Amino acid sequence: MKILRNLLGTVAITGILATGAMADNHGWSLKKAAEPYAGTTIDVVFLLRPGYEAIEAMLPAFEEETGIKVNIIKHPYENALGEQVRDFVAGGDLDIALIDLVWIGNFAENDWIIPLADVQAKFPDAVDPDLDIDDFFPLVLNAFGGWNDTLYGLPFDNYSGLMFYNRCILEEAGFDGPPETWQQLKDEYGPALTKDGKYAFALQSKRNETQSADSFARMLWPFGGSFLDADFKSNLNSDESQTGLKFRQDLMQYMPDGIVAYDHAETVNAFSQGDVAMITEWSAFYSSVVSPDTSKVADCVEIAPEPTGPAGRKPALGGFSLAVAAQADEAEQAAAYLFIQWATSKANAREYLERGGVPARQSVYKEDGLEDYKFVPALVESWQEGVPEFRPRFAEWPEITEIVQEWGTKMMLGEVTTEEGAQEIGTRMEEVLEAAGYYSGEKPLAQ
Amino acid sequence: MTSPRSFWSQIALLALIILVCVFPFYWMVTTSLKTQIVALEAPPVWVFEPTLDNYREALFEDDVLRTLINSIVIAICTTALALLLGVPAAFALARFEFRGKKDLWFWFITNRMVSPIVLALPFFLIARNLGLLDKHITLILIYLTFNLPIVIWIVTDQFRGIPYDLDEAARLEGASQFTIMRKICLPLAMPGVAVSAIFSFIFSWNELMFGLILTRNEAKTAPAMAVSFMEGYNLPYGKIMATSTLIVIPVLIFALIASKQLVRGLTMGAVK
Amino acid sequence: MRGQVPRRTIFAFIGPAVLGLAMVGIAPLLYAVWTSLHFYNLTKLKRVEFIGADNYLTVLTDEVFWQAMGRTFFLLGTALPLQIALGLGIALVLHQPGLTLVKTLARLSLVLPMATTYAVVGLLGQVMFNQKFGVVNQLLGGVDVNWIGDPNNAFAMIIFWDVWQWTPFVALVLLAGLTMVPGEVEEAARLETKSTWTILRYVQLPFLLPGLVAVLILRTADTLKLFDMVFTLTRGGPGSSTEFISLMIQRVGFRGFDQGLASAQAIILLIITIVLAQIYIRVFHKEV
Repeated sequence: MKILRNLLGTVAITGILATGAMADNHGWSLKKAAEPYAGTTIDVVFLLRPGYEAIEAMLPAFEEETGIKVNIIKHPYENALGEQVRDFVAGGDLDIALIDLVWIGNFAENDWIIPLADVQAKFPDAVDPDLDIDDFFPLVLNAFGGWNDTLYGLPFDNYSGLMFYNRCILEEAGFDGPPETWQQLKDEYGPALTKDGKYAFALQSKRNETQSADSFARMLWPFGGSFLDADFKSNLNSDESQTGLKFRQDLMQYMPDGIVAYDHAETVNAFSQGDVAMITEWSAFYSSVVSPDTSKVADCVEIAPEPTGPAGRKPALGGFSLAVAAQADEAEQAAAYLFIQWATSKANAREYLERGGVPARQSVYKEDGLEDYKFVPALVESWQEGVPEFRPRFAEWPEITEIVQEWGTKMMLGEVTTEEGAQEIGTRMEEVLEAAGYYSGEKPLAQ
Repeated sequence: MTSPRSFWSQIALLALIILVCVFPFYWMVTTSLKTQIVALEAPPVWVFEPTLDNYREALFEDDVLRTLINSIVIAICTTALALLLGVPAAFALARFEFRGKKDLWFWFITNRMVSPIVLALPFFLIARNLGLLDKHITLILIYLTFNLPIVIWIVTDQFRGIPYDLDEAARLEGASQFTIMRKICLPLAMPGVAVSAIFSFIFSWNELMFGLILTRNEAKTAPAMAVSFMEGYNLPYGKIMATSTLIVIPVLIFALIASKQLVRGLTMGAVK
Repeated sequence: MRGQVPRRTIFAFIGPAVLGLAMVGIAPLLYAVWTSLHFYNLTKLKRVEFIGADNYLTVLTDEVFWQAMGRTFFLLGTALPLQIALGLGIALVLHQPGLTLVKTLARLSLVLPMATTYAVVGLLGQVMFNQKFGVVNQLLGGVDVNWIGDPNNAFAMIIFWDVWQWTPFVALVLLAGLTMVPGEVEEAARLETKSTWTILRYVQLPFLLPGLVAVLILRTADTLKLFDMVFTLTRGGPGSSTEFISLMIQRVGFRGFDQGLASAQAIILLIITIVLAQIYIRVFHKEV
């Protein structure tokens, strides 16, 4: 019943917004803009995550309206980069690039994607007068969609790291709120909540992008550390970086065994089963932990921003933008643009949110009736002060992340000390950057 | 002849062997009939209300059906091609004398030993240059690298077992080598050809790495599909096991049919 | 003379197969040699350049590569003896007279593991070895062993599945060898001694040797190729604890996109494989 009411409400809202948009925008309508491209099929890679299911559920309306067919190829995150790179180097079928923020340097430098302005100039009639670029959170827009001051993609599946905590477990142990700082989490919450086979915290650390993004980088920034210094040399052996990495080692005693084999699914699952009291996870997983179908603790879930460290609050930042692929032909490019514009539009943001997505539109979070979405305040706060280069975004990231994954996991397993590991990563990372021409001045020190 | 004690210990041992071999399949099938909540029950439950939802979802919503068809098409085509190329070559290796025969035979067989990753990288680049990525024909061709050695090994062996007098007689009557192969030797070698075909089919059906790297959508094979369920915010164990069951059942049926010849084929003539 | 046929006929018979295999087997290798001599990164195709033997030097001095290689042979060295010991035991049990029906059943069930899609074995492993809802811990009496998340346990788990899948193969091969022993020889030996070991060592072993050699060749090759099952089960983790050589090359080539380096690794692996195959086949296998 509740779902039905939501749906009806959504339809009504979209209806109103759509008519409204049509009324003041001199007759621009999606239908009319799409007319020349009806019958075009566009190919795009989607992940197996809530934000994608949300847009997939909304897709029939778009296809109906435009006559454009969207062919979705689903992949797990871990395969998505490889799939797309192989498609782009092969001059394949993809018409839209799905870009994790750390891939954008790579995609842009290879000319696999077209700057947004160029697409708009090419197809002026496709541009929605109500696009309102400034409505996107500036941090998110720049970090997810921009590279070297050029905007390529529009933020689509947007994450900030958030702290998910189990209010019931915390209250039982006498805490009336989540930890404010990482130090508190370790010193107070850790010992109190780790007992009887339950753990205070889980930090997903599997040896893939999860290790470098969710685990390694998450402990670096709040303690003042970073991957690189201003000269693009390794900063991992600095006192601050080492403090962060050692903190992570220390914190492991309050995490489940085998945390290095935990990916998002395992972590979210442990939290949903009530085995872990707190996790720091992407906002995208919200809909999963509050759904009674997948979570035993749905009623106990609360959300806070990530804890702060000595250097302040530096929550993980991640997410995906959609950009038009250069390899697409003219009609496909226009159709792809229309789809991207539609999927990230102001008008659709609310429905996207209600179906489990996380839009990057500021306006939607100012609307009423969002009390049910407990992550909103923490998310909005996190997007005010995130670190865009949380993971360096340059073209060399795919190689560097492999190095970080390998040695970061070795550190956690105690196979090397944090100093040794940092030394290894540093040396290997600098070799990659050297080869790429950053130190000889061939390439600007941009991330 | 045997004492009761050794009789019962024998029974127990045999039962244990059967149990260990079969249990994982039992677990696979039962998990495929569980809902996600039941599948995640800890400790696992043995009695529950079964559901076919996982199969329905896998087959019809997630396109597993299409990938199964792809797998069948690819496996059949590559098997046919391997036989077409391999049987005459096997005949030549068994019947003709020529320089470098040993080396040639060794080269054919060595291909069976090469790690697919050695070929996957360059084959990807070549397929890319020729615009052959994500095409059935690409997998059909690359699967020759392991199918052709199998066919050549087994069938050469089989041809050698056929008495030479038979084709000698035919040759005196003026039959060409091709006629001899087709009319006289091939019918007698049919058991070996059939076994090599079954192997070729099973190996192609089971292949994962090339399927992962060289296909994306159109030509995606069933094992590659099963793997793609493995990351998400929610691992659908029931669906993964349902897909696994669908993949494994045809092979097991094939294997049971050919169980007698299976071992000989796997060792490829090393045991005689 | 027997077997002498015109060159043209030979070519007509064997040419298509040679061409076919050359196309899919040799052409890619030549291409791999070419890429291995270049800086060839899929995400930096604008910067492809000839770098001579640099990639090879990197591989030869890369401890990570040799660790993966060592790990691969360590797996072979632990799993293979287990497979041979268990396989021999099973073969001896099946070889005893009597209980025909149960034995036929057992033989049939032995066929199942080795025909199973390797990727599915890995998926099955994920379900059965899960620390919380896995049936393995339950069957072990409700223990709380973390199989997938602990480096040593994960390695043990890989050994388990390798043994599960390939012991039946060894057993059936050795059983075939046992049935080759002439009945009267075995009978005579049994009159002489009651020791199973003596009979095994002096009567049966000679007939088992060819099978053991075949097992050795194929398991070595298959361990160097091992990818599917580990990829779906642990993806080489936790850490690097189950990253065998084929997984490592796949990671470098398709996750790090450094196809030049990965090609060099692949070619070194190929050389090792060919050398081993040559040794095995030339030494033990007197075919053709």
